[in-house]
Amino acid sequence: MLFDSPTYFVFLVPVVLIYWRLNRREQNIFLLFASYFFYGWWDWRFLALMICSTTADFLIAQKIDPEKADNSRKKWFIFSLVLNFSILGTFKYFNFFVDSFSAALGTMGVQNIPIPLIRVLLPPGISFYTFQEVAYIVDVYKGRLQPAKSFVEYGLFVSLFPHLIAGPIQRPGHLLPQVQGERSFDPDRIFDGVMLIFSGLIRKCVVADNCAVLANAAFGGQFGKPTLWVVLLGTYAFAWQVYGDFSGYSDIARGSAQLMGFHFMVNFRQPYLSQRLQEFWRRWHISLSSWLRDYLYIPLGGSNGGKWKTSLNLITTMVLAGLWHGANWTFVIFGAIHGVVLSLERLIFPAVKGAVDTVQPRGFANFLSTWGQRILTFNVFCLSLAYFRATSLAAATQYLGGLSDFAWRSEYGTAFLMLSLFSVPLFVVDLLMEAGKEEYPFASSSYSFRTALATTAFVVLALFSGSNLNAFVYFRF
Amino acid sequence: MPSSISGSKPKAIAHAEALAAICALLILMFEIASVYLLNHRSATYARISRQYGEALVIRPAGAGEPTSVLMVGNSLLLHGVQLDRLEEMTSSRMRIYPIFLEATGYYDWLYALHGLFLRGARPQVVVLGVGVNYFLENGVRQDYAPMLFFNARDTLAVASDLQLDRTATSNLLLAHSSTFWDTRSAIRMQVLNHMVPHLENLFSLVNQRPAVPEGREFAEMSVPRLQRLRELCEANGARLILVVPPTLDSEDPVSRMAAAAQAAGVEVSVPVDPAGLTAKFYQPDGMHLNPDGAVIFTSALAKDLREKVRAHETLAAQK
Repeated sequence: MLFDSPTYFVFLVPVVLIYWRLNRREQNIFLLFASYFFYGWWDWRFLALMICSTTADFLIAQKIDPEKADNSRKKWFIFSLVLNFSILGTFKYFNFFVDSFSAALGTMGVQNIPIPLIRVLLPPGISFYTFQEVAYIVDVYKGRLQPAKSFVEYGLFVSLFPHLIAGPIQRPGHLLPQVQGERSFDPDRIFDGVMLIFSGLIRKCVVADNCAVLANAAFGGQFGKPTLWVVLLGTYAFAWQVYGDFSGYSDIARGSAQLMGFHFMVNFRQPYLSQRLQEFWRRWHISLSSWLRDYLYIPLGGSNGGKWKTSLNLITTMVLAGLWHGANWTFVIFGAIHGVVLSLERLIFPAVKGAVDTVQPRGFANFLSTWGQRILTFNVFCLSLAYFRATSLAAATQYLGGLSDFAWRSEYGTAFLMLSLFSVPLFVVDLLMEAGKEEYPFASSSYSFRTALATTAFVVLALFSGSNLNAFVYFRF
Repeated sequence: MPSSISGSKPKAIAHAEALAAICALLILMFEIASVYLLNHRSATYARISRQYGEALVIRPAGAGEPTSVLMVGNSLLLHGVQLDRLEEMTSSRMRIYPIFLEATGYYDWLYALHGLFLRGARPQVVVLGVGVNYFLENGVRQDYAPMLFFNARDTLAVASDLQLDRTATSNLLLAHSSTFWDTRSAIRMQVLNHMVPHLENLFSLVNQRPAVPEGREFAEMSVPRLQRLRELCEANGARLILVVPPTLDSEDPVSRMAAAAQAAGVEVSVPVDPAGLTAKFYQPDGMHLNPDGAVIFTSALAKDLREKVRAHETLAAQK
C-alpha cells in the first residue's frame, strides 16, 4: 500500500476512527493486526519472515537483560546480531555477491561456472525493521532499555505501519515507551498530523514525481548523450526528486502516526541549506544518520582515535551507509565520496565543528559566504547522486564524462524551467521553515490559514500530481 | 514527547472537519468538472468515444455489401493512415471502422476488442496496427483506456495479466470508475502547457518508449500474444490481420514481428518496408510518419488490405 495512493487513505481513515474507540490494550492489538495487514498488502509471504524475526528478537531480549545477570547473555547478544544481519544480508545482498563473484571470475577468464539459479526477492522494509530491531537488542544489552514484556507491544514497535516500509527508523527509547504507554487524543496534534500528510503528499506527488520525469530522462539517455547541461539537469532533478520523495514519505509517516497519538522523530530538516556535508548529514535522513552514528561510528571509536583513525571510521561508516542503500558498487562509491569529503572537512575545518548551524549572516560578505557554502555542499551532494542514481559504475562515469561537453539545445531551457517550477516552491518552504525553526509546516500560523493552505495543497495535488507509477525511491532500500 | 503548538481544541476539530468537508466537496467538483471537460473540450475523447460508438454497431456484411473491417491501433496509425484516402481506395471492398488511440499496445487492444465483442460488435475483419515495441510492452495506457475500453471485470483481468500489485490494481480500478482519476494526467499536461512554454517539445523528447525485447524473449512474448488475439477474434467470427507500421530503423523488429505472426497463424501486413523510408518521411521523433510518409503508407496499406480481403472472399466462396 503506497502512502500516495487512494487505497492508503481508504485504509488509514477507518483505522484511525476505530483506533480511538478502543482502550490502550485493544488499540495495540488492533494496530498490530492493521500493520500486518498493511505489510501483507504487498506480499503475504514476507509477513512470516518479519513475524519470525520479531519473535526471535523479542525472546532473545529476555535472555540478554542485564538484570538477569545471565553468563550467556553476551552469546545471545552476538547470536541476535548475527541472525539479524544474516537475514538482511541474505535477502539484500545475495544477488549482489553472486553477480560480483561471477563477474570477478569472468575477468580472470573463468566462464560458465555454475552460479545458483535462485534470485532472492527483497522483502519490503527489511533494512528499516532490521535496524530497529538491532537498536533494540543493543539498547537492552547495554542496559539502556528494559526488554519489552509484551509481544504485542514489541511487535507493534517493530511493525507500526507508518514507519514499517521506509522509516523513519524509530529509536526504541523513543517509540517503545509510547507503545507501552497511554496515548491521548489531542486535536491540536491531530491537526498537525493532517498538515504533515498534506505536506508529504505535495512533496511526493507534485515535487518528486514531476522532477522524476526529468531525472529519468537525463539518466535514461532521452536527452541524447550527456552534456554539462544534461548532467546538471539530471543530478539537480534527481536531488529534488529524492528529497521530495523521501521527505514526503517521512512527513506522511509522521502525520499518520500522529493521527494515532504517536510522535516520530523529524527525518529531514531543510538539508539543502547545509553549509557543510557534516551539517547535511545532521539534516538528511536523520533517523538513519543518527543510527549509524550511535550504533556504528561511535562503537568503531568515533573521533577518539586521532585524525586518521577518525577519517577511517568516517569512511567505513559512510561506505556501509552507502551499501545499506543497495547492493551495488555505485552505492559504495556514493558512500565513499561522502566519507572522504566528511574526513576532509574535519581536517580542513576543525574549528568549525558544531558551529555551522548557528552561523548568522552579518553583512553582505557573510551572506555570500553562507550561500557559497550552501551551493558548494549542494553540488557535492549532487555529484555523489550521479553514482547513487546510475545503474552501474560505467554508466555513472560515462554520465559524468558529459561535464566537458557544453552543447546546448532548446529543450534544456524548457526542462530547467519545469525543474524550477517544482523545486523552487519547496525551497521557499524550506527557507520559511528554517527561519521559523518549526517542526510542523506553518505551525505558528492560525488554523484558518492552515486550513486554507491545505485546501490549496489539495487543488495543487489534483492539478499537478505526477504519474502514480513512481513508487517511493526508498522502498527498494 | 514534543508537543505541537498550543490552541483551543474545539478550534482544531472544527477546522479539521471543515477541511474534510472542503476536500470531499473538491473531489465532487473535480469529478464533475472532469466529466464536463472531457465531453466538451477533449478532442481525443470526442474522437475515441465517437469511433468506439460506431464500432459497436458493426455487423457482418450482407451479400454484395463491403466487408466490415474494424481497424484499431495507436499513434502510428493515427499519423500514418489518411482515413479519407484509405476509405476512398478501399470502399468498393470494405467498410472501415477505425479506433486509434495514442500510446496503446497489446493489452489495451486485447481487452478493448474483448469489450467490443462482448457489447455486440461483429466485424468480419479486425486489423490491428501498433508499433512492435508497444505490442510487446507489459502495460496499458493509464488514462482513457481503463475508462473507455475496460469493464470492471476486464480491469481486474488486465491487472492479473500484468501481475500488478494490489495498489496498482486499485489505481486501475479507480481510473476505470472515476473520470477525474482517469484523466488527471491529461489535465496536468494541459495546465502545465499553459505554464511552461514548449513543454510538448520537451515531453516528446523525454517520454520513454518501451524497448523491443531481444533474442528468444521476442518470440516467447509475441507468439502467444498473437495467438490469443487470433483466438479472440475467431471466437467472435472475425479474422485478424496484423499491420506492422514502419518506424525509422525498424527493419529488424518489423521482420521479426512478421515472422512471429506467421508462427502464430496470424495474417500479417507489412505495407511498407521500413528500409525503403528515409528520415524525410518521418516526423522529427523518428516514430511517426509525416504527411508525405502517410501518403505512401496509406496507399500501400489500402492495396494490401484489398488483396487480403479479396483472397478471403475467394476462399469463403470456394468453401
